[in-house]
This record gives sequence, structure tokens and C-alpha cells, in this order.
Amino acid sequence: MALQVYTASLLKEGLVAYLTLDNNLPSWTTDIHQATAAIDDSLEALKKAAEQSEQDNIVVAPYAIDVIKTDSGIIAATKREQIRATGPTIELPQENIRVSRKAA
Amino acid sequence: MYQYSDQDQQLLLERVAQFRGQVARRLKGELSEEEFKHQRLRNGLYLQLHAYMLRVAIPYGLLSSDQMRTLAHIARKYDKGYGHFSTRQNIQYNWPKLEDVPDILDDLAKVEMHAIQTSGNCIRNTTSDPLASVARDELEDPRPYCELIRQWSTFHPEFNFLPRKFKIAVSGATQDRAAVAVHDIGLRLIKNETSGENGFEVYVGGGLGRTPMIGKVIRSFLPKEDMLTYLEAILRVYNTLGRRDNIYKARIKILVHETGEDKFRELVEAEWEKIKAGGLYLKDEDFAWVKGFFKDPDYELLPDNDTEFENLLLSNTDFARWVDKNIELHKQSGYRIVYLSLKTAHQPPGDVTADQMDAIADLADKYSLSQIRTTHRQNLVLSDVKLQDLPALWEELKALDLATPNYNHVTDIISCPGLDYCALATARSIPISQAITERFDNYDFINDLGDVSINISGCINACGHHHVANIGILGVNKKGTEVYQLTLGGSAREDAAIGKIIGPAFEADEIVDAVEKVLSVYLENREDPEETFLMTYRRLGQAFFKERLYG
Amino acid sequence: MDNYIKDRKVDSNEWMPFTGLEDGDSLPTGDIYVPIEEWLNARETLLTRNGRLGVALRNTDDPAIIKDDLDRLDLVVLEFPKMADGRAFTQARLLRERYGFKGEIRATGDVLYDQLFYMQRCGINGFELRDDQNASHSLRAFDEMTVTYQPASDEELPLWRRQK
Ligand code: HEM
Ligand code: SF4
Repeated sequence: MALQVYTASLLKEGLVAYLTLDNNLPSWTTDIHQATAAIDDSLEALKKAAEQSEQDNIVVAPYAIDVIKTDSGIIAATKREQIRATGPTIELPQENIRVSRKAA
Repeated sequence: MYQYSDQDQQLLLERVAQFRGQVARRLKGELSEEEFKHQRLRNGLYLQLHAYMLRVAIPYGLLSSDQMRTLAHIARKYDKGYGHFSTRQNIQYNWPKLEDVPDILDDLAKVEMHAIQTSGNCIRNTTSDPLASVARDELEDPRPYCELIRQWSTFHPEFNFLPRKFKIAVSGATQDRAAVAVHDIGLRLIKNETSGENGFEVYVGGGLGRTPMIGKVIRSFLPKEDMLTYLEAILRVYNTLGRRDNIYKARIKILVHETGEDKFRELVEAEWEKIKAGGLYLKDEDFAWVKGFFKDPDYELLPDNDTEFENLLLSNTDFARWVDKNIELHKQSGYRIVYLSLKTAHQPPGDVTADQMDAIADLADKYSLSQIRTTHRQNLVLSDVKLQDLPALWEELKALDLATPNYNHVTDIISCPGLDYCALATARSIPISQAITERFDNYDFINDLGDVSINISGCINACGHHHVANIGILGVNKKGTEVYQLTLGGSAREDAAIGKIIGPAFEADEIVDAVEKVLSVYLENREDPEETFLMTYRRLGQAFFKERLYG
Repeated sequence: MDNYIKDRKVDSNEWMPFTGLEDGDSLPTGDIYVPIEEWLNARETLLTRNGRLGVALRNTDDPAIIKDDLDRLDLVVLEFPKMADGRAFTQARLLRERYGFKGEIRATGDVLYDQLFYMQRCGINGFELRDDQNASHSLRAFDEMTVTYQPASDEELPLWRRQK
């Protein structure tokens, strides 16, 4: 079994979130580095907490993803999850196009 | 343009209130995600890779400048300052919050806009020719018919839970700029040579996705009075018999295919016989009423030449290039149609910033009767620009980065959002489109290649229409890496065709080279510059290209 | 509580589904409805009873098969096996508009708040709501929208012709 974290979308905002368990107190963060990673048996606690959050209408559709722990933090194993964690791989338009509007 | 009546407006407000209630029930937990999904999907709201995505309908691709300003306002206030124009002439926002969506819909309703039926298994926004009413090759303006279809299909009580989504397109010109053959129903206005009356050639069962198909002509001439009764008959047969056991076989194209074209036609005609005299039969007064909204503006009587324009054409190559590529003749003397290219190397195809939207709205007010059209190739159109205004407009468009001279050329790429945004994606598509655009960002090369289309989809659902591009690119996931399949020979126009996969897929860093190779095979083997890529491909065949690409 | 709406009012359901024709000659009294096969097989026997009669159609049945029987029936039961399956909308319209059925057309199965408006427009006037739905709260659903564009069982003409 691989190291895993739980991820979902926040119901209200729709943003990607990761589950943190701090002394069994669950919370959701948009920063993958703060996610609680677990393996095998200890994953059960994460799963339970994630499902509870779904029932409590905090998140939508939680699931576990494989991650790798590196010196610089947690990295998702697949391309898809890497993009979910860090956002589109392209520059968003607003940052690129500088349009100066003339006053009418 | 169509003007809402009090009742149209009331319907929108009631719909927003209803959706506000649905969102509130969801946030309170009274609706499960599963149940809410059916509701939000009936209102254009998806949950994507990073956030919710809201798709706003632009009926048959026609926008007023005030509507464009509202789109800009929404991008700024509720999103990250930009929007994405889609291949079905709509606009999508990538970052709205669920709790903000009812407010967004309220703001849209103020300018007669909404997200009704922009997703879900219902009749979607009817699309049309972006050059409607101004093209020289037009038989009749298709938009009044689109408006009737819009009203008929909006909250149609019988057809709101179809086996699958349902897309209709209407074209009124010789050239097909609405891709009618790849829609569930495509209507092409034609003249009946015996009666002299206009009516429709009816295509059914086109579509892309996993099983791409070109629509079949199931009626060669349908009198226009019968348009809605006939549509109702087709939809009724589909709602009754369309497959519901397998989502991939649920589109009407599969029903037509499995039933057989002739049998399907028989079923439709039999149903139609029973309803053709009903309330949906269209009378002269109905046409007179709806056509009243789409009357030609009072065009000025202008000569079809202008000294300043002609001088600039001779003295400024950049202007001449733009005119050559992005300007089309108008049916009215002294006017021109202007394409605003949304395709540059540093901006995802179809993306427009809020500032650009506001500026485009101002340009429409200043130069083009306050209207803007969206196109199926993800560009915009100013449809009624005076020839004499072209130099000034060009200067303004350049400043906005909207004057790239590439309309219908190799860097005018259609691309779906792909893995950068889409939860269903198997690979990224925007970076590939950007890499191709960068590689070919050379006017002489683009010009020499002439008319050629590249479309990119990030998965088999084919939102980027890769099957009907001359050169189609499909991103797939092969053991965790993104690889790209090349499809050649497709077309979305009058000569619609589904392209064929040419061979094994390419890695992300090989695909641009592969496209370049295909283009060079064309350039080396065309008979003369008049022979387009598609003509050469059809003449020489797939094997010829395959051999040179992989050999 | 029956969780049942009839003609826009919360009501109690008087009808019993009945499928046991083959194993007994004693027919139940009261209002019963039977699956379409039993109706086709035992129409005459069923008609000897005094109570009211209904028939349940499957989604694959063309309502035309009972068109000549409709004046002897008081109820036709239609099925919504899941919310997304909308075949019964067409069946309802055909029963009302083409075959002129005047009795109750009843929706059963996944009958949820947000479909009621459309169902009513197609001529359905009896609603057996799914267990988790609240019948009295659901009555609002019929009036959430008041503008209708197209003809259906409740309107003969499209909006554009009604406006003029
Ligand atoms: C980002 C969220 C999107 C999702 C989840 C999505 C989903 C899908 C799916 C599942 C299909 C296949 C449907 C079928 O064949 O039954 C499809 C087809 C299609 N989508 Fe999208 N799509 C998305 C975005 C877009 C965008 C951005 C565009 C326009 C650029 C678009 C336009 C289309 C078109 C034109 C088709 C294909 C052709 C057809 O109707 O057969 N979609 N989409
Ligand atoms: S083609 Fe696939 S990846 Fe692209 S938008 Fe459609 S569903 Fe998403």
C-alpha cells in the first residue's frame, strides 16, 4: 500500500481541499502540504473523518490519493492530482494580458 | 435582437429564485449531492477539477454590448477576471463559488441572460451561424427560427429528462459555419425549387464524443411551418426509445444508428402525422412576430471603397495581413465583418479577460451597432463595421491583443480546457495548443498553409471537436503519461467528415513536431497553393501521410 | 401519512396495487390497480367487480395499447424508476392529449420535489412521493414557475400566441 491523503472539493467554494487530522480533530485545508498522510490501517481514521465531513456537508465526494513525501513536502503521485493540488499549469489570462482602458 | 417580454423576464426571475432555493437546500443539507447534481446540472453548474464551473447561455451566439459588460462584471466580481468562450457559442466561468451562483444569476437576469439548460440531459442552447444576417451566401436569417426553438425548448416539460444531452444547430447559408452535421439535430435552410418556399433540410444523429457520427438527412425538405412539430416528433421518439442502459450509447446518434435510418424516419413521420396540426404548427403571424426582432438595421448607403482604408492597405503590411485574414465581405456595400481572434500564443483559446470584454463592448458600441457574436471556433465577431472605420478599429484591437491575423488558419486552434481544468480529462490540451501556436507564429508560414484547422480535446468526450478538424489531436493517458493521438482528414463544414487516427500516439514533446511534419508533407505535395490541406489529404489518402509521418 | 398528492392537495391514497389474479377467484373489493399484463389477460373478469379500476404501465409500454379501455379506467399508474428517466413524461402527455384520458394519471417511483412542475404540465395529477419527501412542503413546487412557453397538457398554445 502506498502513502495516501484524503482529498475532496469544499461544498461552498468548490475548491480542492485535503484532510488534516490533528489529535483526531478533522479539518480541511487547500494546502496539500498540511494534509495528514497515512498508510494501511491508519488510513481508516482518515476515511471515517472524510465520510463524516461529506455527511456534514462540508465537502463533496472525498477520495484517497497516492502521495509521495519529499523534502519539500507532500507531492501527489499522478499528474491529475498534481494539477489539482497546484492549479492550472498555464498562466491564467488576467496575469498575461495587460489592457489599459481609456476613460470613455 | 430578441427583446424579452415581461413574461420572459418573469420566467428568468422565477428560475433564479428556484435555483436560490435549491442551493440553500443543498447548503443546509436537505438535498444530497446526488440530488442537487441533477438540479445544478440543469443550470450549467459543474464541479470541476479545481472549482465549480458555470456555463452561461448565449442564445445562437448573439450578445449586446450591455450583456458583454455584464459578463465582464461577473468575471471580475465572482471569478478570476476572465471567461472562456466555448465551441457551442457559450461562455464558461472557471472559479465561481456555489454560494455566489444565485447572485451571478440575478446579475445575468438583469440583462436577459441565464444558465438554463446549459448542461444536463435536456435540450441545450441552440447554436447558429455567427454571420447570420450579414453573410453574402445567406438564403435566410436563421436566428428567428433559433429563437422559436429556444422558447419551445426552454423548460419543455416532456423533454427535460432525456436519455442524454441534446444539441440543435441551425444554418441559413451555403457555407456551414454552425457545424450542423455534428449536432443531434441540424437544420439547414434551403429553398424548395418547386414551390419557391424556404424550409429545412433535417439532419439527425450527428455528434462527436466516443462514437463520432455525421448526421443523417432524415428529411430533405421540411416546410418551415412544420419546424417545431417535427422537432417535437423527433424528440418524442428519442425520449421514448433512446437507450438509458448505457450512458455511452444514449445519444440520439446511437438510436438512429441501431434503429436504422429508414425505420427511424418512419417512426418520426408517424408521430409527426399525429401532431402536425397541433399548437406548435407555425403560422405567418408567428414568423412575422419573431422576425420583427431581427430586422436589418438602417444601414447607411456607403460606397464599397474608402481612400484612407486603401492607402493603409498599401502602406502597412500588418494592416493588410489583418484585412486579408480577419475581415469578411458584408452583404451591405461599405460594411465589413470583423473577426476578433481569441487565439494568441499566451492565452488559452477562447479565453477573454474582463478588461478585454469591457473594451470589446465599447468597440461594439462605437463601430458595430452594439452587438457581438460568438463563433463555434471560439472567436468573436463584430458584424457591422463600416469599411471606413477599419483602420481605427484595427488600432484598437491591436492594443487589446485581439488582432492576430489567423482566422481559419493553422493557429486558430479549437481547444477544450483539458486537464488544466476538467475533471474528466485524460491529458492537457491548452499547453499543446500554445506550443503549436508558438511554433507556427509566423505570418508567411500561416499564410502559405492557407485554410487548415487544428482542434484539440483532452479526452474522448471530444469537446474540442478533434474528430472534425483537418488535423485533430486527442490527449490520452498512457500509463500515467500524457500522450497525443493524431487524427487527419476531418471537417466540420458542408463536406463534414470524421477524421481517422493516423497511427501510434506521440509524447507531449513530440506532438508539435508531428504536426509540423504533417503540414510539411502537405506543402511538399500539394498541386498548387489553391489546393487546401484537406483537398491534398483526400487526394493522396491516409496511407501516404502515414508513411511519411512514421516512415 | 401516505405522502401522496392529488390535484395539488395532500390526500390519502385509496388505491391498492393488486397482482394476485392467477391464484384465486375471489377478487378484492375497493379500488385496485393491476399491471398491464393482468389487464390484458383478464380484462372481462376485472370488469365484473364493483370498485374502481386502474392499470400500471411499464416505461416500455405504448399507451396506445389501452386507448380503447380508458373510459373504463379511473387510474393509470406511470413509473419513474429513477429521477433521470423521463419516459413517463411522454406517456402521460399521450394519455391526456392524444387519448383524452380524464381519470387520474399517477407518478410513482423516484417522484421528487423538483420534477412536480414538469409532471403536472404533462397531465400527471396524482403523485406518490418518494418516502423521504415531504408532501405538504412539496406543494410549493407547482407554483415556483408561472410562465410556460410551449403547449402541453395544460396549454394548447405556445406563449407567443397566447400573448397576442
Ligand atoms: C469543463 C467541463 C466539461 C465537461 C465536464 C464536459 C463534458 C462533456 C462530455 C461528457 C461530453 C460527451 C457527451 C456525449 O457524447 O454524450 C462532452 C461533449 C462535448 N462538449 Fe463538453 N465538457 C466540458 C467542457 C466543454 C467545453 C469547454 C466545451 C467547448 C469548448 C464543450 C463542448 C462540448 C462539445 C461541443 C461536445 C461534443 C460533441 C457532441 O455534442 O457530441 N464542453 N462534454
Ligand atoms: S474533451 Fe474531455 S477533457 Fe476536454 S473538456 Fe471535454 S470532457 Fe474535459
